[in-house]
Amino acid sequence: MSRIRASVLLCVFAAATFFVVPRASAQNAWPTSDDFANAAKDAASWILPAHSYSGNRYLSETEITPANVGTLKKAWTASVDARGPLETSPIVWNGTMYVTSSHNDVYALDAKTGAQKWHFPYKPHVIAFSANRGVAIADGRVYEATLDGKLIALDAATGKQLWGVTAAHDVTNTFFTMQPVPYKNMLILGASNGDWGGIGYLSAYDAATGKRIWDWNTIPGPGEPGHETWSGDSWKRGGGAVWSGIAIDPATQTLYADAGNPQPDFLGTIRKGTNLYTNSMVALDISGAKPTLKWYRQFIPHDVHDWDPAMPPVLFTGTIGGAPRSLVAAGDKGGNFWVLDASNGNVVYKLAVSTQRGQNTAPNRTGTIACPNTNGGVEFNGGSYLAETNTFYVPSVDQCGIWKSQGTATYVSGQFYLGGAFPKLYGPSTGYVNAVDIGTGKFAWRKHLAFPQIGGALSLSPGVVFTGGVDGDFTAYDAKTGNVLWHSPTGMTIQAPPSSYVVDGKRYVAVAAGPAGVNFADPRLNQGAPTLEGRYTHATRAMITAFTLP
Amino acid sequence: MSLLRALVPAFALVAFAGAAPSRDDHASALAALADVRASVREIVAIENGYAVGHGAYLRAAHRAMNALVGRRDEAYAAGFGDPGDGVGTLGHLDRMLDQRAVWAWTPAAQGAKANVLAAAENVQSAIGQKEMEEYQADLTRALANLALVVGRPSQDGVLGGLSGALANTSLGVPSGAAQAPGCGMPARAPSYGVVNGRLTYVAVPRTSAASALPAELDVARVVVRGDDVVLYSSVSRSACSRAAHAERPRMQRARAVAAGAQPPFTSAQAHAGKAVYAKSCIQCHGADLQGAAGPSVAGTEFLTNAHRNKWSVADVRTTVFDNMPFSDPGSLSPQQYANVMAFLLASNCYRAGAKPFPTSADPSLARIAIGPHGGKPDNAKTGTCIVR
Repeated sequence: MSRIRASVLLCVFAAATFFVVPRASAQNAWPTSDDFANAAKDAASWILPAHSYSGNRYLSETEITPANVGTLKKAWTASVDARGPLETSPIVWNGTMYVTSSHNDVYALDAKTGAQKWHFPYKPHVIAFSANRGVAIADGRVYEATLDGKLIALDAATGKQLWGVTAAHDVTNTFFTMQPVPYKNMLILGASNGDWGGIGYLSAYDAATGKRIWDWNTIPGPGEPGHETWSGDSWKRGGGAVWSGIAIDPATQTLYADAGNPQPDFLGTIRKGTNLYTNSMVALDISGAKPTLKWYRQFIPHDVHDWDPAMPPVLFTGTIGGAPRSLVAAGDKGGNFWVLDASNGNVVYKLAVSTQRGQNTAPNRTGTIACPNTNGGVEFNGGSYLAETNTFYVPSVDQCGIWKSQGTATYVSGQFYLGGAFPKLYGPSTGYVNAVDIGTGKFAWRKHLAFPQIGGALSLSPGVVFTGGVDGDFTAYDAKTGNVLWHSPTGMTIQAPPSSYVVDGKRYVAVAAGPAGVNFADPRLNQGAPTLEGRYTHATRAMITAFTLP
Repeated sequence: MSLLRALVPAFALVAFAGAAPSRDDHASALAALADVRASVREIVAIENGYAVGHGAYLRAAHRAMNALVGRRDEAYAAGFGDPGDGVGTLGHLDRMLDQRAVWAWTPAAQGAKANVLAAAENVQSAIGQKEMEEYQADLTRALANLALVVGRPSQDGVLGGLSGALANTSLGVPSGAAQAPGCGMPARAPSYGVVNGRLTYVAVPRTSAASALPAELDVARVVVRGDDVVLYSSVSRSACSRAAHAERPRMQRARAVAAGAQPPFTSAQAHAGKAVYAKSCIQCHGADLQGAAGPSVAGTEFLTNAHRNKWSVADVRTTVFDNMPFSDPGSLSPQQYANVMAFLLASNCYRAGAKPFPTSADPSLARIAIGPHGGKPDNAKTGTCIVR
């Protein structure tokens, strides 16, 4: 009780003194609200999904440079459960790394050696596919949101479960893949129910007990603004899942989140209208008892191609016309990269980062071709802004698909609610690493690669960008030129974002890799696809790999 | 106009004070049917008429649409007039379906909604046509959809669609009307008998019933007792031979499927499907079918989940045929899909038979439930059977 009160007091203190609190040090037993609010300044730890509340995987440290990155060596590997793709973003605090497998196993690893400290096995029912993006830590607990709709808390020292609550409103069509985000005394979490006929929501839970504090529905109900953008009662199964990450500006207590595509995915005739707030970024004021909408920006109104804004929002201060400007970036599976004004959601830039074709042609019974494919465009682990180059780095997938819809969509609990079928891949499947000059909104450089790039980007000052893709090549690019400075084949598919931390004075870069999973099982891998390092077939292993300078 | 509808005022008089629910599904169903019929009348009139000029055809299609979708829908074009009541068939159906409770008639209402949506899509297409032939083809398709919404008598006396639900289920009971034990002789009239959501009889005072027999009741037996006439439906016999109790709503999707029915497939198909599975499915669903990146597809976990979600063989078929393999949907031949379905059914310990799993959609599959069925698994841990 006293501990809870103490942390509440700390929050108040942190809010009042946000700009003058000194850099967090790793000597506390667990990160405090101050540490979370100031995580961007602590380059030694990684305590939030994308390092800081901004959502920007960027470190201002200068140990790994374009000059020495070529000497990076594998420091250790650690095996984890391989029954699905790894999407975990490692959390590192006081020398311990916490990661998850796709089936919600949680592992505590020695961040210096990879040795396992404890392992929490879990056996969830899988609705459609297995994926998990990692844990949150706070106050001696490790939190995970699971495939069977639960929010669970483990003892961070032992890995034993302390409590678990059913956090999903309807476990037949809702599960969790998102990494919970600690904020003040809460955990913030979005529901994954996009393609099974649920409606999306963001929720806050009491971090001590798991008790629900608030829900914010992404689909407005009767009487709420935006409800008129749904015909009839289509809003009730309208989708708008909150799949991936969020960003928070603690100074203004604004939460930025992206709501996914509308349902049924491929049949628009039964949900006429623009279908708010699907495919939208929403900025929520979370200072009060319940969130209130500050602004929204819908990227693709009335989507019939499953083109969610998959990339987690990234808040950053870019330079445009020589002046700093508060911006927030988004990327959608329709192949668009967006830069918005963070204060009002106005579009500053929009740039196509994947091939686009047939975007306004709705699927029909005979099939229509459109690009990107449903797993194309910008994927779930997103991009990174590097202040030193004023450039945003965003990987993308280049694919086309053939879409078919049906005349009807019938809801069956636990089954897809699509009104059609997921598209069939049409033509080649490749990827890009894109560097977007924020000063101009144009490409600084682009790298076209043989495989989809889905791994998320990490940028390190002064000028190295790490990312990886389906072929498992973990690569460091020169931020200025796009030249490959270093790469290492993991022999597995990378669809997790990299992270970086320091133990005993040594900097590590870590990334998870594993099987391709349901979304990126590449037909080429059946035959053994040629890669820079030989041939690569479907991986049956799943591993965390940490690299360090000699 | 049916007798049931004619009887509504009579029954309203005997409504239980204070017991009347806030919603009236019976009235909504009748109104939904009226809107469908108004829409059909518009279509039939323009198709049988001799109108000249684009305007009359456009007007008819819009009016037919208005009666279907109601004024809340974007497709509603008020300028053309509305032969319906403004709420539209969809509006009434949405009101009926907008409840967590699931009744014996819920699947019929869901089916009606699906067909109304299909009809509206066809009418929408007709509105955009330039050629008369295309226009008529679209409206003919819409009529076929709407015929399913209404339902029709068959030689077995059973009706489909909304009129079938009104005739055979508790949907035929007006809001607030007296319900009596569903079996045996009613103590008073007017009253309704309901067993497990099925309408077993309508008892009416002879003075009211003299005018006509209910067109939308599936009458198997008529008993005249004193001043009352009791019309027993054809389900009364089977319903009353089992334990009789009043309908209780279920909080999940209704099971419109028969537990224990055998899905069709042959052992040759299952054997061939094993190879398809090994090539196209195993990576995500595992060699033991217990799931990996994808979910479990056979054994105790799968069957328990299928039962909880009330899946039919058709539900599973749709996912497999339309959305698998997830990384390349639709990439297998219909025969390969049928074979892999056979393999999955055999792995779930269903028994192979002489009838093959169909390569195209078959409505009968929607009536076969998937769930624990007492088959003897080869693997006690997973609950699966080995396909040889």
